Amino acid sequence: MIENRPWLTFVSHATLLTGIALVALPVWMALVASTHPASAFGVGHIPLWFGDAGAETWGAVLFDKAGNGVDVPVWFMMLNSLIMALGITFGKIAISLLSAYAIVFFRFPFRNLCFWIIFMTLMLPVEVRIVPTYEVVANLDLLNSYTGLTLPLIASATATFLFRQCFLSIPGELVEAARMDGAGPWRFFFDILLPLSRTNIAALFVILFIYGWNQYLWPLLITTDDAYYTLVMSIKRMLSVTDGDIAWNQIMATTLLAMLPPVAVVIGMQKLFVKGLVDSEK
Amino acid sequence: MTDVILEKVGKTYPNGYHAIPSVDLSIEEGEFIVLVGPSGCGKSTLLRMVAGLESISTGELRIRGERMNEKEPADRDIAMVFQNYALYPHMTVYDNMAYGLKNRGMAKDLIAEKVSDVAAMLGLTELLQRKPRQLSGGQRQRVAMGRAMVRDPKVFLFDEPLSNLDAKLRVQMRVEIRQLQRKLGTTTLYVTHDQVEAMTLADRLVVLNKGKAEQIGTPMDLYNKPATPFVAAFIGSPSMNLLDAHLTEQGITVSDELTLPLSHPHRGAIVWGIRPEHLDVSDEHNADFALRIQAVESLGAETLIHGKVETTSGQGDAMVVRLSGPHLPDINSLMWLKAPAQYWHLFDAVTQQRL
Repeated sequence: MIENRPWLTFVSHATLLTGIALVALPVWMALVASTHPASAFGVGHIPLWFGDAGAETWGAVLFDKAGNGVDVPVWFMMLNSLIMALGITFGKIAISLLSAYAIVFFRFPFRNLCFWIIFMTLMLPVEVRIVPTYEVVANLDLLNSYTGLTLPLIASATATFLFRQCFLSIPGELVEAARMDGAGPWRFFFDILLPLSRTNIAALFVILFIYGWNQYLWPLLITTDDAYYTLVMSIKRMLSVTDGDIAWNQIMATTLLAMLPPVAVVIGMQKLFVKGLVDSEK
Repeated sequence: MTDVILEKVGKTYPNGYHAIPSVDLSIEEGEFIVLVGPSGCGKSTLLRMVAGLESISTGELRIRGERMNEKEPADRDIAMVFQNYALYPHMTVYDNMAYGLKNRGMAKDLIAEKVSDVAAMLGLTELLQRKPRQLSGGQRQRVAMGRAMVRDPKVFLFDEPLSNLDAKLRVQMRVEIRQLQRKLGTTTLYVTHDQVEAMTLADRLVVLNKGKAEQIGTPMDLYNKPATPFVAAFIGSPSMNLLDAHLTEQGITVSDELTLPLSHPHRGAIVWGIRPEHLDVSDEHNADFALRIQAVESLGAETLIHGKVETTSGQGDAMVVRLSGPHLPDINSLMWLKAPAQYWHLFDAVTQQRL
């Protein structure tokens, strides 16, 4: 639709700018806050421009221990978060690729039943099954471990469904041509299927990485050892101060750091992400 | 030497549908066999059974004397060209052609040599590094053929390979396929629903109807001596005039009142056929019958005249006449026609067999 009406242009730009301001203002506030001393927030007015305590705050956040019972520095928790997020992402992609592959391309009894059972797990996110899952993980002696952080979150009905749809859209002739070319199940999977679902994998990577990075409840529950603390759950811990001031400047800086990796992933993979959602080159 | 033998080959689907009752066919080495028939006649199913993409329910398939029923498609030493080409979209033309050889563990330099040979033969050398989506329909078709050719198989299988091309390109590719097949001398099984394609390509044709081979023979056999009314109607364009008739001592009675003299031992209901191109314009005294003209299609080089056999009841059968050159008769006028007896085709109305 191409229209040339000045007032329409004005209104749409105004709407967009308001939207951007609404989204960006809190981020801006956090950035500004991280450059003021912690006490600046207790005095009633909120600063809107950078202060002079920036270097000090950021230095402390990055390299000192986070405090408030968190015995490891922020960069270490970022590393933990990254390991968890990547573990969940790659685990989910690998498992759902394989299950979708089995469901779409192999004839075995109760194939459809399997699919619907997987599909029904959509109704059982971690929050619903958290007590039994905890029990299982505890019995397997996986509390305070990376395996315990990632494994229970790896099964994914959504991703399986997405890959199933993607595989179903691959023409039957292509599968047959590969068969004539002597490609067995593994060859077909790696040579044909994986390259063809490249864009879908990229799109899922973005979504799942953010999902994994933002995990809060699960890591909070199963980690008691500081060495496995993740960043997102620790922000809450940094807030629970029983005496003394809350270090708002440090918390804001930590929050910004926690936002950084998802933003980087989205920006870095934006092109593939959009492509994966809207078109397929089949 | 007989290359491919289908012995009482049949297909029954798990739901009980009898797609192909039983087909017998033996193909000589280097022969170009076309399977032709209307959609749903089982021609693609039969091809896919030879390919190994569909299982064979009954009978036996042998290639060079070896039973193939249980073999995987890749182990049958055949190559197939699909209707929608089925090129791997993420691979270059080179990789598309090399993929089958790679999977067979062929040495890299040998693959490169084979691919470049075939590419040169098909005029694809310039396109080897392109992806399929950057190619035109005709080029994709060529790549699909190249992919089959590099394998140097015993048998080529084509599943309606030209149906996605425009009319002009189709004619061009048809000629090209024929020339290539002659040059390579590879036994070929080709499926199409287009009778022109079938007639021009085939050494021998197999006309399939509801899973049964109605007739197997050279294009001219089928044109001159169709075994059944189905083959008669299917081969030739416009198709043969087929009229319900009766054979009596006086001859053939057409449209209930018109009698064409003929002495033939058979009696009873028959189907009388004559091709539109075999009807001659005549005058009132020599003509066998008259046609009331209903429509005229002028194509320049030839004219097709549609009409009804003129009878007192006005319920005569519809017929088509094909005349060479331009003609412009009036609609509703009468046209006197002679039907030379040597071009008649008689079929038993019950058994549908040629008399």
